[in-house]
Amino acid sequence: MLESPSPSDRDLLRRIANRDEGAFLTFYRRHQGLVYRFALQMSGKAEHAEEVTQDVFMQVMGSAKQYDAGRGSVAAFLIGIARNLVLRSLERDRPYVVLEDPDGENTWRMVSEQDALDDLTRQERIESLRKAVLALPPAYREVVVLCDLQEMDYAEAADVLGCAMGTIRSRLHRARALLMEKMRANERVVV
Amino acid sequence: MNENDRELLEGLRSLAADGQQGAPLRVEERLLAEFQRRTRVRRAAFWSSGIAAIAATLTVMMFLGSKQHAPVIAQTGMEANMIEVPGSQGETAMSFYPLPEASELPPVENATIVRVALPVSSLRSIGFQVSDEGANEPVEADVLLGQDGLARGVRFVE
Repeated sequence: MLESPSPSDRDLLRRIANRDEGAFLTFYRRHQGLVYRFALQMSGKAEHAEEVTQDVFMQVMGSAKQYDAGRGSVAAFLIGIARNLVLRSLERDRPYVVLEDPDGENTWRMVSEQDALDDLTRQERIESLRKAVLALPPAYREVVVLCDLQEMDYAEAADVLGCAMGTIRSRLHRARALLMEKMRANERVVV
Repeated sequence: MNENDRELLEGLRSLAADGQQGAPLRVEERLLAEFQRRTRVRRAAFWSSGIAAIAATLTVMMFLGSKQHAPVIAQTGMEANMIEVPGSQGETAMSFYPLPEASELPPVENATIVRVALPVSSLRSIGFQVSDEGANEPVEADVLLGQDGLARGVRFVE
């Protein structure tokens, strides 16, 4: 017997607009990781990522009918909402940005066990890179998050950010150069 | 691409794979609860608007035809289950049966009662056993609307 194919996002959104709880759950489970990771990588705070994820899907709940497939993919639609929420909160919290949480409770931290020196070094490098990404200006940070961390192609990232592909390419180039500079500076401090 | 670029991209890939990959389960639970709440409110609003439409139709019909059964509208500030609107001559007043989902709505502070004619089959939605025979016959009922215009309860006039 053939299994029924998984419903398309478009179909799910149509059913969500008709208050189909199962459709909402399927849609949420399919896309929550993308939204959560984007918010986490942009803000560096788990609690903030959680809040943004919740707000994005609240909006989907109330405006599923408004999605227009002609204007971009569902991923772009969701990240577009998340991006607005993240940028608004970065703007609001700017004077108080905390890149490091001494308790490690609320930061984007590494959860794997570190029982070897190699792992420790690797984790330190990742941590250092994480800080470097979070220290980038938002316009550069978001292209790194979308293209390098979320592995979106340039066209989709351009769709999300509402700019030309050439802009994405040049921002990414500049962002990577900034990251490299920061990483080198960190290495010099360590040496 | 030079060695430094490759190293950076490799680092970024490790960074992407590291840490929590999805929202905690509590986010899903909160969203589901909110979805269910909105669905209930929408259903209650649907009931109210349906009843209002029927009431309006009935009013027009009565205006055009006989004036013996004009809708009765009363205002009261009492709780839903305390409202006592005496039945007119030949009628027996009854308690209000709560509508499904009404318990989720805020308490009634300022209620409106609208008399409408509903099909007998609508009694099924609040738990009455109704046979198919005569299910489309109209039955007169008082509908209790809260201050938000959402229906809370219904009572049938014998």
